[in-house]
Amino acid sequence: MIATIVDWDALLQVVWVSLLAGVGVTAAWGLALLGATRALESGRDGRAGGAAAYATVGVLGLATVVAAIVFGIVILMGD
Amino acid sequence: MGSEIIVVIVVATALIFDFTNGFHDTANVVATSISTRAMPPRVAVGYASILNFVGAFVSLEVAATVAKDVVSIHANSIGLLAVFGGLVGAIAWNLITWYFGLPSSSSHALIGGMVGAVFVAEGHEAVFFQEGILGKVMIPALVAPVLAFIVGGLAILVLYRIVGRLRPGPVSGGFRLGQVISGGLLALAHGTNDAQKTMGVITLALVANGTIAEDNFHVPDWVVVAAATAIALGTYVGGWRIIKTMGSRIHKMDAAQGFAAQGAGSTVILAASHVGFPLSTTHTISGAVIGSGAAKRLSAVRWGVAGNIVLAWILTLPAAAVIGAITFLVTRAFGTGAVGPIVVSVAILAGGSVLFARRSREGAAPGVVPVPESPRP
Repeated sequence: MIATIVDWDALLQVVWVSLLAGVGVTAAWGLALLGATRALESGRDGRAGGAAAYATVGVLGLATVVAAIVFGIVILMGD
Repeated sequence: MGSEIIVVIVVATALIFDFTNGFHDTANVVATSISTRAMPPRVAVGYASILNFVGAFVSLEVAATVAKDVVSIHANSIGLLAVFGGLVGAIAWNLITWYFGLPSSSSHALIGGMVGAVFVAEGHEAVFFQEGILGKVMIPALVAPVLAFIVGGLAILVLYRIVGRLRPGPVSGGFRLGQVISGGLLALAHGTNDAQKTMGVITLALVANGTIAEDNFHVPDWVVVAAATAIALGTYVGGWRIIKTMGSRIHKMDAAQGFAAQGAGSTVILAASHVGFPLSTTHTISGAVIGSGAAKRLSAVRWGVAGNIVLAWILTLPAAAVIGAITFLVTRAFGTGAVGPIVVSVAILAGGSVLFARRSREGAAPGVVPVPESPRP
């Protein structure tokens, strides 16, 4: 009976979106912190290449967070 | 004229319910940010109030579920009295559980109250037990805290893998900054899901009054603005109470855990809001907080809280339904005019005042989402 009552499409959507966004956005923020911290350390140690690489990771992490939040709110506003 | 007075009473009652929802849930929304010192309490409360208000404008899917998919009422005075009975049933159950310290959920109480009152008023065919209650309320209500627990746990595990070898100082600062975003999203999510339940009930009352045609369902703009304002004001006022009474009682959690818990809670609530599931935001946030603590250290979690959620899940719907049904019958006993709602409103105000006075004398401790105690990394 449960199989026909529950809107499985909606429920599964909640599950995968929550897992993807909840874990993905937090991980992206972690990468942004990792990139920023390591870029500063590399810069202080005079490793310009490493600093640039870590800075790129940081920027990409931050951009992912911002893009995910904006995308999510735009989707919700369309309801 | 009588029905217009009842509509005014129903709208006022719904907005009071919305206010108390914000008042009660402020702790859940801001506790994590305050406990990790991501934001000063006053800033956290003001910020949460503003985003609660904004969140109410984001989506209307939950309002549509509450107004159309749970119960069906006819456009007459009986339907209007049923909405009133349901609202009062929810408020009464919240007061009772608050007074006796029982676990509860305002959202489940609201749905339960509506179901009980409409069941007695309109008959069993007016309540959508299977697709509505079970499919859109009870199963999602069970899934959401578990999902938030898993997402919160996975998120903190991934975070520790990424930043585990970094110096704790800058990382903690980074996560506190992140909590400004995740805490804001949580407040936005809370406003989105919870304010919409009130919008749904008010819209249901307008349908019962004939103000909105049954085949032309829409939530009027003034309903959205009123519900947004009520929940935001409740959050703000409730926050001042928390600043005064809760500041020193919140257990410590590290900033990464707070960030993961808020992120998990907000994504689950926002995803559910998008598909129209009216969740218990308190249970969902609790699940995320417990998950972020359990992933680090199982013994840090107060498993009794999980038991309380299950107990609330089992108790609230049927208990609020019974009170909603009784409230409708008492209101109906005075006829179909405005006398019944006026008498019942006065009675619930008097009863609530007595309970508040008694609790104040006894020194009540307001509830808050428990934060798992764990050492900083």
